Amino acid sequence: MRNYEVFSTTADTGIRFKGRDFHGLYENALRGLNLLLFGSHPRRTHGDDSFHFSYSGDGPENVLVNFLAEVLFLAYQKKKQVHALDFIHADDCRLEAWLRLAPCLSVPKVDIKSVTYHNLRLVEKAGMKQAAVIFDI
Amino acid sequence: MSPWRWRLSRSADKDMVADAEVFASEEILRQAQDDGSIEQVVNVACLPGLVGNSLAMPDIHYGYGFCIGGVAAFAADDGLVLPGGVGYDINCGVRLLASSIPASEFSAAAESIGYAILQRIPSGLTPRSNYKLNKKEFLRVISGGAREIVRGFGGQAVDLAFIESGGCLPFETPGVISAKAFERGAPQVGSLGSGNHFIEIQVIEEIYDAPAARLFGLEKDHVAIMIHTGSRGFGHQIASDYIEIFRKKNLGSARLKDPQLVHAAIRSPQGRNYLQALNAASNFAWANRQLLQEDIVAIFERIFRQGRGKLGLALVYDQAHNIAKFEKHRIGKEMTNLLVHRKGATRALPPGHGEVVEKFRNIGQPVIIPGSMGSRSYVLRGTERGAALTFASSAHGAGRRLSRHQAIKLSAQTDVRARLQKMGVLVFSFSNQGLREEIPEAYKDVDAVVDVTVASGISEKVARLRPLVVIKG
Repeated sequence: MRNYEVFSTTADTGIRFKGRDFHGLYENALRGLNLLLFGSHPRRTHGDDSFHFSYSGDGPENVLVNFLAEVLFLAYQKKKQVHALDFIHADDCRLEAWLRLAPCLSVPKVDIKSVTYHNLRLVEKAGMKQAAVIFDI
Repeated sequence: MSPWRWRLSRSADKDMVADAEVFASEEILRQAQDDGSIEQVVNVACLPGLVGNSLAMPDIHYGYGFCIGGVAAFAADDGLVLPGGVGYDINCGVRLLASSIPASEFSAAAESIGYAILQRIPSGLTPRSNYKLNKKEFLRVISGGAREIVRGFGGQAVDLAFIESGGCLPFETPGVISAKAFERGAPQVGSLGSGNHFIEIQVIEEIYDAPAARLFGLEKDHVAIMIHTGSRGFGHQIASDYIEIFRKKNLGSARLKDPQLVHAAIRSPQGRNYLQALNAASNFAWANRQLLQEDIVAIFERIFRQGRGKLGLALVYDQAHNIAKFEKHRIGKEMTNLLVHRKGATRALPPGHGEVVEKFRNIGQPVIIPGSMGSRSYVLRGTERGAALTFASSAHGAGRRLSRHQAIKLSAQTDVRARLQKMGVLVFSFSNQGLREEIPEAYKDVDAVVDVTVASGISEKVARLRPLVVIKG
């Protein structure tokens, strides 16, 4: 498995990602979502907007769902693509970061409506934290 | 129990509080075992307070927590409500209009009508509708549903009787809806969306039950219009918001077999709030389909240069596929008030039921089962047997067989438009990828679903329709 990749289910689509720590995990989740939405993760863009994201949850699955939902909301409603994360804090139950934003240069390729908890479970394999998130489209 | 009805007794699993029952042929049952959806029916049978059995209709397939085609009822006073038992696209549903336009006369106008609908009705990833609603107007839409569209945007009051629940469920507490849901929903009223949502102009190619078809206004070789869409981002956001809220409430529940089966007591503050938000999203969807209908009727009137009366354009029925509603059903000798969850299932009230519009009361509620792009759709009617066995529920469609990725791969060398045109279907869409994802092979055989639905007695066939024009998001 690569650090992040897109996969299909019969009805929907999803992303798999992994990281050595929670910083890497959340970063690769973002890269995977950008790959699904725009075909690639953008190179770093300077001088644009940022958005303060903070979520405390009951576990990494809960944090991942809410983080990815926020990235989708920014893409579809605000036409902003998150291209980088400046972490303030990242662990299994909390993510606080500045989301670096750039205007979406293209319309997202897929119409993702919801982030689901379907079969979502963070696992540790060979020292890497891994998860797969399925989106309702 | 029969070749069309299968039951797994509650004794099979110590956590089951009810039996799991599936209406299926052997082939459909085998597919459901393979894709994991039988396990999902069993998981629902483990929920405390379930009334009757955990049911699955003949279009059963794997969903999030609760299978598609699933039906579950809980006592209205002390039962549970599950957002997963409704699905993300709240009140995704289908609306059918009859016409007196012969297909032979329609063919000359087919292309103009297809283009006009594609141009007029926002579809696909274009989220902005033609109706710019401020917050006050949007609140009126989610409070009044189809009624508000008839009142404020045009349309006919007579339509309302032909919409499930009159196109409006009670909603009076806007505070239960998040700011994000408002922001996602307000610009999308009057839009089709993407995925499996569609508008089809169809021809009625076969009548099975002439008296029922006549009452429904369906005449052989005449054109009909089918609209399939739901509550768009508004319903999805409400579902996501309440799955989060219920999730926190269910933390540590050992009985929860799937995280998508989070639930709350109907009478709890969280349960009551979700049911209010669910009603708002349901109203959005009915308003949405009413607006799309009026846009399409206006296009027909312009192109045929005749009014809707002359064209015989009349609503046959509008029904929800994803909803939870309070309904009265006979349990033993008593009529009991239940919250019936239908996810990818339709209400199918029997003849004589007081909630069936008077015109159809002697024959039962119309049940509309759309097929995939290029395949047939069906109109059925509710039966007494269905009322007794399934809380008056029926199937809702075919369900996907291939993933979108597989469908795109399979259609790599295919011009989908040209291929469907050879089959007599004109397809209009801004998205080539969307079309390839929705090729007919991507879906299961709707004929098989309808055959089981009829053989098991839960609905009766009335008419079969074939697509002439398809507009996809």
